[in-house]
Amino acid sequence: MSGDKDYYSLLGVSRNATQEQIRRAYREAALRLHPDRNIDPGETEIFLDVGQAYQTLIDPEARAAYDEELLSMEEEMIEKACFRCKVLHSRRKILILDEPQVHYLLLKLRTAEHLPEIRPQINICIVIDHSTSMRGQRMDQVRSAVLTILGDLHENDSASVIAFSDRAEVIVSPDQSKDLHSARARLSLLQAGGGTEIGQGMQAGLAELERQMTTESISHLILITDGRTYGDEDLCLELASQAHDKSISINSVGIGADWNDRLLDEIASRTGGNVVFLSTPTAVTDLLHSIFDSLSQVVAANVQLAGGIGQQLDLRSAFRICPDPIPLGDSLPLSLGNLVRDGSIEVLLELVIHPITEMGALSIAHFNVSGDIFSSRIDCTDLPLAIISDITDSPDTEPPESDIVDALNKIAMYRLQEKARHEAELGQVKQAARRLENLATHLLSYGEKELAKAALNEAVRLNHTRRLSSEGEKTLKYGTRALLLPAKTGDS
Amino acid sequence: MIECPVCKHQEFVGTLYCSECGARLVSVSPFPTVSISRDDISEEAMVTKPTVPEGPELTSGALIGLRVLSSGDVISLLGRDNYTLGRSGKSQAIVPDADLAAFDAYDEGVSRLHAEIRVQPDIIYLVDLDSANGTLLNGNHINPQEPTPIRHGDIIQLGRMRLQLISRLRK
Repeated sequence: MSGDKDYYSLLGVSRNATQEQIRRAYREAALRLHPDRNIDPGETEIFLDVGQAYQTLIDPEARAAYDEELLSMEEEMIEKACFRCKVLHSRRKILILDEPQVHYLLLKLRTAEHLPEIRPQINICIVIDHSTSMRGQRMDQVRSAVLTILGDLHENDSASVIAFSDRAEVIVSPDQSKDLHSARARLSLLQAGGGTEIGQGMQAGLAELERQMTTESISHLILITDGRTYGDEDLCLELASQAHDKSISINSVGIGADWNDRLLDEIASRTGGNVVFLSTPTAVTDLLHSIFDSLSQVVAANVQLAGGIGQQLDLRSAFRICPDPIPLGDSLPLSLGNLVRDGSIEVLLELVIHPITEMGALSIAHFNVSGDIFSSRIDCTDLPLAIISDITDSPDTEPPESDIVDALNKIAMYRLQEKARHEAELGQVKQAARRLENLATHLLSYGEKELAKAALNEAVRLNHTRRLSSEGEKTLKYGTRALLLPAKTGDS
Repeated sequence: MIECPVCKHQEFVGTLYCSECGARLVSVSPFPTVSISRDDISEEAMVTKPTVPEGPELTSGALIGLRVLSSGDVISLLGRDNYTLGRSGKSQAIVPDADLAAFDAYDEGVSRLHAEIRVQPDIIYLVDLDSANGTLLNGNHINPQEPTPIRHGDIIQLGRMRLQLISRLRK
């Protein structure tokens, strides 16, 4: 087999594709890649590979032999891979049904046992919003939080501090970060003033991180802001995608009520990062500490879930449940973030299965899990993940996996909040208020008195002012998300 | 499609929580709802006599219910793991899952959120939610906030109001 792609993914067909499907896929690929037609260099080689793939798969005997070879090779890869994955299904068997149905998958990823224990070098950049609104306590708290992080740096770590308003400047460069006295002096000169252009800060921060990047280091950007960015959302998202391409993850900290949670969420989900809402700045030191701490325990950075969903299925949504709960996009590849030692990443996938008839087994997905491992000494390989389910015509009476039910219960509350907010924005005030009251009932029966109260307050506010408060929006959004945190799962 | 028992919203087969109201759909039949015409029903009725359910009657697919002893009404409990019992008030946004306001709950001394019934695969618990007048199980006071197992036929007394648990989980 040439290259790292198997014949099926080379042709873009599923493992159980019919001869006709293979023929069609080949014809289409050949037309596009033929040496007379192709444009990009290297496509002629792919053309040859595709031809070989077709020759093998179209011949039933050769295909059977290849399938066997592929299987044993994948088994070997699974053995050697740097990741282990447990897959839970919402149903043990898929029901034969002439209408669409929903199927949930919970993937629990860990690193393999054979990975050595190495503390990665940390390459961190803290990007601070110093617009006028940060004046006073907010700035003071952020300043002292940053200083404690600088004090924790190991010898090979690298840190820098960027401040931005409508322009960005380097406050503490990587060279200065080890000298705490001068860093403190430089930070104390930082004054609040000016507007908020997050793109400026991100750009400068990413440039600083890139300069210090090595193969042994994990690069991370922490963005601290309290305001809405001024007209450069598109630039921010573009920068987030660029950061992701360079394996830089971005965590955002929003202080107070007036920042753009949707933008920061999107930045986080593109880079596998997270967003934290702080209603007051006092917790910022603990927060930065825990981020720094978990970075020092990362074994695999920038973990990706790539591959393809089976032909009869669509991915409807993806939600990272652990370590930091956040909704992910609805298309592969998904950025899952960093995997720490003895920790796990859990992702819940919601799939729609199109009408299916009697067949052997349903190929749900072929995933590939990859990530950056911080050790040049070991041979790092990806984990292939073939998810196949049996088919049945009698429904499964056993209850679904409790982990899936539990996670979906909390996601359902998160979704109610999202819906209510959407309706409030459309002016459907009554409906939104009713939904919030409903959410409050669910929260209360779950023992979340404070959140339930917040939901009710917002319902009352909606009826009076026709709008939600931006603080309430964030309290409910990040509050319902936090229900998924492991500490909260014990006390239901 | 399957139908949410609480809000009647239609969901794909296999959905575990209603996207409209957040109600749990796990116990809803994994088969899609089938609509049949009136003619079919009368024909079926000719063939099979309606079966008498064992013990007290429970409508729909509910596994448990509560009979209000004073009036004989049966409240079906469906679609969730736990149900709050209490009474709704005019200026009160939180409505208990089993609302007893219609049965003179106020005069009978039922608190707004009086007690809770928790359903687990093989056992049902009753929990008093620090109610003003307390909860009795078969005539004995139960401690507030302490889950107490209950069974089919047990008498639950909220304040002065007496309810009987109807359960298909007969063990």
